[in-house]
Amino acid sequence: MSAAKTRVKAPKKKVKFSVYMKRYWQLYAMLALPLIYLFIFKYLPMVYVQIAFKKYSIVKSIWTLPIAKNHGFEYFIKAFSNNDFRYALRNTVTLNLLDLLFGFPAPILFALILNELCFQRYKKVVQTITYMPHFLSWVIIYSLALQLLTPETGFINMMIEAFGGTSIPFLNDPAHWIGSYIAFGIWQNFGWGSIIYLAAISGINPELYEAASVDGAGRFRKMWHITLPGIKPTIVVLLIMNLGNILGGGFDRPFAFQNNLVMKVADVIATYVYRVGIKGLQFSLTTAVGLFQSVVGVFFLLMANWLSRKLGERGIW
Amino acid sequence: MKKRLLSILLAGAMTVSLAACGGTAPAAEAPAAEAPAAEAPKEEAKAEEPKAEEPAAEEATSELVDGKFAETRKITVEVYDRGNDGGSDPENNMYTEFIKKGMLEEHNVEVTFKKVGRWTEVDDINKLLASGEAPDICVTYSYPTILTYAGMGGVIDLAPYLDQYKSELPNLWNWLGDENIYWDKDPKTGTVWAVEGRRFEQQRIVTFVRQDWLDKLGLKAPTTTQEFEDMLVAFKDNAETLLGKDAKKMVPFSISKDVGWRASNIITSFMDPAITDKEYYINGFDDRMVTEPQTKEAVRLLNKWYNAGLMRKNFSLAPDDTEEDDMIKSGYVGAFQHNWDMPFRNGEDSYNASLARNVGEDAKFVAIDPFTNSAGKHAKWLYSTAGDRKSFFPITNQEPLASLLYLDYISKPEVIKYLQIGDEGVTHDVLDSGAIQIKAATGDAIQNSGRNIDMTITCNGAFYGDTDLAALSLSYGYAGIDPALVDQASKIAMTDGLTPKNVNVGTIEAEAGVGDTLSAKRDQAYDQAVEASEADFDKVWDAAIADYLSSGGQAIIDERTEKWTEYFGDSDMLP
Repeated sequence: MSAAKTRVKAPKKKVKFSVYMKRYWQLYAMLALPLIYLFIFKYLPMVYVQIAFKKYSIVKSIWTLPIAKNHGFEYFIKAFSNNDFRYALRNTVTLNLLDLLFGFPAPILFALILNELCFQRYKKVVQTITYMPHFLSWVIIYSLALQLLTPETGFINMMIEAFGGTSIPFLNDPAHWIGSYIAFGIWQNFGWGSIIYLAAISGINPELYEAASVDGAGRFRKMWHITLPGIKPTIVVLLIMNLGNILGGGFDRPFAFQNNLVMKVADVIATYVYRVGIKGLQFSLTTAVGLFQSVVGVFFLLMANWLSRKLGERGIW
Repeated sequence: MKKRLLSILLAGAMTVSLAACGGTAPAAEAPAAEAPAAEAPKEEAKAEEPKAEEPAAEEATSELVDGKFAETRKITVEVYDRGNDGGSDPENNMYTEFIKKGMLEEHNVEVTFKKVGRWTEVDDINKLLASGEAPDICVTYSYPTILTYAGMGGVIDLAPYLDQYKSELPNLWNWLGDENIYWDKDPKTGTVWAVEGRRFEQQRIVTFVRQDWLDKLGLKAPTTTQEFEDMLVAFKDNAETLLGKDAKKMVPFSISKDVGWRASNIITSFMDPAITDKEYYINGFDDRMVTEPQTKEAVRLLNKWYNAGLMRKNFSLAPDDTEEDDMIKSGYVGAFQHNWDMPFRNGEDSYNASLARNVGEDAKFVAIDPFTNSAGKHAKWLYSTAGDRKSFFPITNQEPLASLLYLDYISKPEVIKYLQIGDEGVTHDVLDSGAIQIKAATGDAIQNSGRNIDMTITCNGAFYGDTDLAALSLSYGYAGIDPALVDQASKIAMTDGLTPKNVNVGTIEAEAGVGDTLSAKRDQAYDQAVEASEADFDKVWDAAIADYLSSGGQAIIDERTEKWTEYFGDSDMLP
């Protein structure tokens, strides 16, 4: 039956684009808007990628700029021989990997737990509360962090001292800072991130759970054998997308959390580019850094996609 | 049929919108390399050539009759937007109107102001320059920024214009003199990318202490570094007496993450009094002296105070100065170092006015001068007459003469006077002695910056058009502040003052583009070392300085040393 269906479908693939256009033009028209957006804001600016290989001038057309030294690779060489860039690269990878390690499973676990709650109203309230931090800017979160974590005057440290402990330098000491940084990242995002998993869970056929109950499966068995496999494709797609971002990451979170005591572990590529490129007016250098970042990102994305296909999952294309 | 028509329409609309959007992104819509886009910048580049020849080709006198253009010329001038609460419109207020009217009457030049964010000035000018919309007269504090633009061909060389039009610009020369006009002249190529504004007040940094605390504890104002330390200890030990239930919030000596500024006089007091010009110059990429060898001992002292609980805790965590401002205004801070007039600034919102409101009438900060160097002097750095705002003309400026006339007009004593003190009865009163007393203004007359410096771009400091009047009025320059306090702070600020000299050896290549990196590294070195444990101090400081040097600091020192030798040979002092 299904074989017959594919056989019927196969010749249809050769149908001309114009036929699809005629049949579904409303959908294509709707698609046009986001495509235009992508074209203007994501593809057109790529023309400027060439300043990574040229000596940039603010008053000349980019087409007439002279090629940089060393066959255009002057700025790549300069970046890689720079201490701060190497620190930033190392920190970006470390922080993103830690985020992936701790931050990625958090919404999945949360979605699983939330799914097991029977009391619907309580579930709704918890969900709403956990979404909230997502809407706070990092500058505000940092000022919360200061109020809570500053040694001696922060609330948590005052509690620790009141119970006879010694205050912990959550934000002043590189190792502790990384912990606080990751923890606040999880706190901000786990509620929001769980939405997509909850949606995936609600798409699982309830008959499966009923059948499992009849077979005598308990909660954990059902979670393990039905819920998790049910949301596996979602997990894989998100994981691939996260891996593509291993050298990326936002600007505002590290920028807000940085302070002069922990810059060695807190300076990431985004803040490095801001300081050296935008504030220091070295546009060619930082375009080179940005290009490198993107190329590595694409490489990771392709690798993760290939790996997931090897493991029998669907990739993202 | 209908459907087809609709789809054609839609497709058409899409094409049009695409084309329209493409049009708004200049330079980008021509993917074909053989058809260079970005015509606008190209035109500017072309326009530059005839302009450069202009001064030679035309006679200065032919353009101006009685200092006036025959036809009205138009220029745009940058003005800082400070975003003050309740300030006046930076582009349109009593003072801009005065300038517009004056320029039109005297030179037949129509002036438009263009605001640029004070705290994002470099970014903003950047964007304006790149889009060819920069004001004809740009102003910035950052000379490296101008050099970067100049290196890209984005700035007009003022040298030929200054030479040719000197006779048309008497006020500019009177006010700035050759020294400030040619301060940045390249010794080899003779280019002048910018004209340095003049600092009329050279007072820089002073230490302040709470007079009422001293009185309560029966202490005298400290006159040596040791006495200052003893005073901090006394503050700390008597926190209960001074602050009652808020004793825990006591901060004997406050500081911010810019330690090089906020402990400047302490650091300077450790500096070798016999420091040579060369030594100061090669370590003088900025004025925070982080690579000066004796600075380490100054920071060690701060580190000792920090660990003894005499300083503001965790100051390096605060993202900005608002928290510290609040602590000072609430009366928890005993002493600090800052701009010489810091507690007097901002009228009702000043530190001293806030203290009087929040703590009591007798609560106030007064200036003291405790830090002594090994020669027994209270040495401290002053501002040089330059080093303030620099005015430059971007390459898009089509009216260099009109723009120079603007600078000339703005340097006239009576213009500076009006811009600084406004109208009698509105922004100032004249006292019996003839002194000018500044008072708080409202509406259009509000000055968005102290001394209205945003308007007087060639002058920083209370000049009032007349040196004698300025001296007489200095202490009355702050609304609601006791003149005796201002007078005292000003005197202390000048005591044993050291004036930085202009070492002009041309561009230092190693300094290009590293300014922000190095000031960040510098602050990290200071902050980490002050907050380190006493045992770790040497390790932390040495590592941070090594990091500073390897990030470009050493290259600057080397190039500066090399250039010094090239120009001054073996001499350690300037000729």
